[in-house]
Amino acid sequence: MAENGGNTVTLTIDGRQVTVPKGTTVLEAAQSIGIDIPTFCWHPKLDSIGACRMCLVDIEKMPKPAVSCATEVAQGMVVSTTSDRIVAARKGVLEFLLLNHPLDCPTCDKGGECDLQDITFKYGTDKSRFAFPKLRIIDEHTKTTFDDKRIGPEIIRNMNRCVTCFKCVRFNKEIAGEYDLGAYQRANHTVIDAAPGEQVDNIYSGNVVEICPVGALTNTDWRYKVRVWLTKQADSISPHDADGQNIKLWYDHRRIFRATSRRNDAVDEGWICDLARYGYQFIDSPDRLMSPLIKRQGRQVAATWAEALELVARRFRDIRDKKGSVCIAGLSGGNQSAETMALFNRFFRTVLRSNSVDYRLDYIDLKDGEITEAYNCLYTAPFQIAELEQADAALVFASNFIKEHPIVNLRLRKAVRKSKARLFTANPVETKSADISVDELIYRPDTETAFVVALLHALIDQRLYKNCPDGRAMELQSRLSPSSLTEAAGICGIEVERISSLARQLASAQNPFILAGDYLTASTQRYQIGNALYNLANLLGVPDGKAIILASHADSIGAERVGLRPALSADLAGRLAEAWKEPIPDSTGLNTSQIFRAILDEEIDAVMILGANPAMRYPDGPFVNAALDKLDFLVVADLFETATTAKADVVFPLAGWAEQDGSFVNLEGRQQRFQRALPPKAEIKTGLEIIREIAETMGEPLAGDDAALRNETERLVSSWVRRPRVMDKFYDVKPAPPVGHEGYPYRLLVGNDLHHVGYLTEHCPSLIRFTREPYVELSPSLAARLGVDEAALVRVESTTGRLVLPVRISEQFDGDVVFIPNNFAAVEVNTLVSRDGGGWVKIERLDE
Amino acid sequence: MEKVLFAHVDNPQQHRIETYLAAGGYQALPKILREYKPDDVIDLIKKSGLRGRGGAGFPAGMKWSFVPKTSPKPKYLCCNADESEPGTCKDRVLMESDPHLVVEGIIIAAYAIQAHQAFIYIRGEFVFPAARMEQAVEEAYARGYLGKNILGSGYDLDLVVHTGGGAYICGEETALLSSLEGDRGLSRIRPPFPAIEGLYGCPTVVNNVETLANVPLIVNRGVDWFRSHGTEKSPGTKIFSLSGNIKRPGNYEVDLGTPLSYIINELGGGVPDGRTLKAIIPGGSSTPLLLPHQIDTPLDFESVAQAGSMLGSGAIIVIDDGACMVWTAMKLINFYQHESCGKCTPCREGTAWLKQLINRIEDGNGRPGDIDLILDICGNIMGRTICPLGDAAVMPTESIIKLFRNEFEYHIEHKTCLVKTSYPLA
Ligand SMILES: Cc1cc2nc3c(=O)[nH]c(=O)nc-3n(C[C@H](O)[C@H](O)[C@H](O)COP(=O)(O)O)c2cc1C
Ligand code: SF4
Ligand code: FES
Repeated sequence: MAENGGNTVTLTIDGRQVTVPKGTTVLEAAQSIGIDIPTFCWHPKLDSIGACRMCLVDIEKMPKPAVSCATEVAQGMVVSTTSDRIVAARKGVLEFLLLNHPLDCPTCDKGGECDLQDITFKYGTDKSRFAFPKLRIIDEHTKTTFDDKRIGPEIIRNMNRCVTCFKCVRFNKEIAGEYDLGAYQRANHTVIDAAPGEQVDNIYSGNVVEICPVGALTNTDWRYKVRVWLTKQADSISPHDADGQNIKLWYDHRRIFRATSRRNDAVDEGWICDLARYGYQFIDSPDRLMSPLIKRQGRQVAATWAEALELVARRFRDIRDKKGSVCIAGLSGGNQSAETMALFNRFFRTVLRSNSVDYRLDYIDLKDGEITEAYNCLYTAPFQIAELEQADAALVFASNFIKEHPIVNLRLRKAVRKSKARLFTANPVETKSADISVDELIYRPDTETAFVVALLHALIDQRLYKNCPDGRAMELQSRLSPSSLTEAAGICGIEVERISSLARQLASAQNPFILAGDYLTASTQRYQIGNALYNLANLLGVPDGKAIILASHADSIGAERVGLRPALSADLAGRLAEAWKEPIPDSTGLNTSQIFRAILDEEIDAVMILGANPAMRYPDGPFVNAALDKLDFLVVADLFETATTAKADVVFPLAGWAEQDGSFVNLEGRQQRFQRALPPKAEIKTGLEIIREIAETMGEPLAGDDAALRNETERLVSSWVRRPRVMDKFYDVKPAPPVGHEGYPYRLLVGNDLHHVGYLTEHCPSLIRFTREPYVELSPSLAARLGVDEAALVRVESTTGRLVLPVRISEQFDGDVVFIPNNFAAVEVNTLVSRDGGGWVKIERLDE
Repeated sequence: MEKVLFAHVDNPQQHRIETYLAAGGYQALPKILREYKPDDVIDLIKKSGLRGRGGAGFPAGMKWSFVPKTSPKPKYLCCNADESEPGTCKDRVLMESDPHLVVEGIIIAAYAIQAHQAFIYIRGEFVFPAARMEQAVEEAYARGYLGKNILGSGYDLDLVVHTGGGAYICGEETALLSSLEGDRGLSRIRPPFPAIEGLYGCPTVVNNVETLANVPLIVNRGVDWFRSHGTEKSPGTKIFSLSGNIKRPGNYEVDLGTPLSYIINELGGGVPDGRTLKAIIPGGSSTPLLLPHQIDTPLDFESVAQAGSMLGSGAIIVIDDGACMVWTAMKLINFYQHESCGKCTPCREGTAWLKQLINRIEDGNGRPGDIDLILDICGNIMGRTICPLGDAAVMPTESIIKLFRNEFEYHIEHKTCLVKTSYPLA
């Protein structure tokens, strides 16, 4: 039996002995042996506040009942959860909670999954001794009672139902670090409300609806649509980011009604962002493509599957056999299932015999001859989200973190809050991490390389490097460009002392992490920054898994592991050939930007695109559109008509992720399965079906069924090998000279809106409630110089295009950086950007 | 009887540092900094037997000794000047008349626990006392009693005067800390106790104004002198705030252990002529009532507890035969309901329900069974709440019903008071 000395404690609960780790609460100890203690304000991931008093238990030698949710176990403790006093206390608390509760369960959307309902049923009485009219406070402003007040784009509050557990407010403050929701007033007039003048619209807002134990917080998404007991649940994974948020889809035979979290402590700890929560809605959009389209005399018309497949098969065969297989290329969006990508890859390499396949459609790849090893090594680092909790310092670099990696962001917040990790951020604009950052460095746009080089100089100058002899360090330093700390710091516009201090703090940390994101990925200097970052991780002695360039899409890493990229490692090529029982063609494969270039050079005639919209999203609109227009034969499979499908000769209606089984591999390399919730509607087919049917129609069917494919994919993903970072290896760093932008003074950043990702979420009504339309976001100082107010229309113009957009003024922007989201089909933002890094614009006010 | 805390209460210039110095002020502090190690101060206060004057009577020296000495975290001292318990108005007078006595006490206490930051949390309505404290703090800084390297000792202390928003609950120590942190003034569960995890999660001592004001006196005049006042277990003097149906209401400083009758009859002049004493609230509005036959109860922590009530903050509210006890209970429950912070269920909902029931009886709409329902609700609040505010609402309510149940029954049956009161009732 465990004795006091160790790390466990043995106690007795209701006559049963239980041994639990020290620090466990009595409540959790009871739960661990299946003893139910009712709770309202307790949540496994929030600090206990002992407010609702529902979890009272009797503990021997304690004069008063104790709150089990906040009482730590002690050796030899004797606990009763069923004493007369406790039974009475629970009845008392329930009676109190029900005094003014409306008992409108028949019309309340929480009915059927309401803690108050369940606990009352189990522990309460069915009689009320309360003989007063129920308390209904009249809202000063609206003159209504507390029923149904919209406090955010999605959230509706019904104060009458609230049990004042404060879980919502605590989640916001403790977990999300948001303050748009609060408790106001006092005593039984306490109200939960949006902060004065604000809306509850942070990207985690839906969590408060989910953790509300009653129907006080509900969302438009779910209200009045279905009773929970009439739905089924499918385990799923959010398709909108690379973190791999675990979700549950609630559906019946007709449609999906909502998505909720599905706690996975290794990944999300049960919190999901609103994109994961509401991002399923495009599945049910009335605008879905419902049948294949074929271009006839320049116009797309509806066609049967047989016609469309026949046409594609014939053209592919013709081009392959007459012009050569190198003339066909395949592109897939980064959020297709790993299985789909695997089959797509196989189809291209074994049937069409082309190695020109890629999934990296949203950044400009560089010219040939670039050294990509360092970048690729960091991109595939064996990082574990949960390990962040042990960090004592972290540098988040070139990433609007909260936006790109909502779950990694929460874990970092936790590391700062719980383990006092010191967080540093370095970005071209401010992020929402200011409140938890020790220092928030803002570098000039496009100076990522200079920033990291400055850090390298600072480390070497102060002799702070690890695992590296002085001579090596000196030699490395001599090969760095810019060549000194002062020069590099000057280029990125940050004080030398701040960079030196950052270097010192990272060097003195025991367990530092370096995380980089989309500003790096999107940069044309990507590989140079990668080299610099590699050197940084090595000089600091940061282990392999703790320095990473985070992947952007739900299945980017899946694509890497199944080999959906032109060049393959010898190992992967060997294993693929073995699995397919066919050799990999030996032609050189082209990457995305090489493919578009080759089209313009008339070297590629046919392209198949699966679930991607480069015409709108590829960051060089003029270039990509010229290429797509020039193509001889374009096949696109997608859920909606897009700028890209509009150019296609054949369009296939594609099933969404919720309409099929599959898996995504998240940025950690964790393969997670998702289940089908609904079958695809009538004419829609999954990517797997489409690929298989093309191959069959070509008379070259792909052997093996879906189960075999699933096994093969799993094997590929799990046995994937990567060359680890070599801790004493360093790369030369030579940033390209900045491009001129005479006459175009403002640096344009293009990316995802806070509440949107890609081009599908525009079809999610809930997300549209957060952001309806595109805008250009700029700093207060720039707005003042332009003489524009919020919502004024401006013309944004680059060398390649112009757009008219409303202004959004943001405190997070400083100086001459502006931002336009590329999530809305109404504006093709990529027309403003061109492939040699020209993201510079001028802005003029439009006079009414 | 010797006045010590109030020795200079009648000097209108006492709040000025020159006057305070001339009267022997700021002599304890240099002595402490020169001759005492922090632990020695704690020992001294432990030996003196000084007990908290904020309500619970917890031994001050012992509280200080709970602060972990090896903790690397900063430590804080908070002087609780939220004085909001109905009937209590002693801290206010201390701060107005002798603010430097309080400041000196704070500095010594902070030194004892090795805090370098201290706060005075004053209720928002105390505009004048807060101004006096501000001025005193400024003067103390100017003379080097606060700030860096106090009197050349190497000890640093900053002191901030913070005014609250006017909530009774913010006098409860954990709610005070939440409020001081800028959060809602909501009480927190204990443990952790503030001495271990208080302000910003750091070791914190919260002491009442009067408790701290005693400290320089003990240092100056010694433990034996202090113990020559009061009783063995409740040494020292205590300021009692006398109010209610009394001829001469006011603050009176007497030795602990002085009989209640002395304060009511000798100092306060008894109930108004023609009236008879009906009940006494001995320690602030949250304490159970005493009856006239208990008027000789000595006012020390033990004796009042033995008599079935509590010394509390020392606010004596005298009730004579002109007062309706239903009305009295109503006034009290209305206050507690209004001041409930709303965090825990029994207090938030229970006080509101009690208020509805007691008001219904007072209004002549009481129903048979209401009295037992009230007592039952009291049982569901008592001992089930986060902080003692719930208990504070229940104790006088239960006590009044127990002692004067007939008045409640009369109200329910006849829809009017048994007592025809002639006081203007607000
Ligand atoms: C509802 C409530 C209100 C309180 N109000 C005050 C107050 O106004 N002033 C005060 O000194 N203590 C007040 N207290 C007591 C404090 O919580 C705390 O015990 C006291 O400040 C400790 O100081 P002491 O040990 O010097 O008495 C209150 C307690 C409760 C439960
Ligand atoms: S709204 Fe819901 S989560 Fe928030 S305090 Fe009320 S019951 Fe709790
Ligand atoms: S669950 Fe323990 S007090 Fe609410």
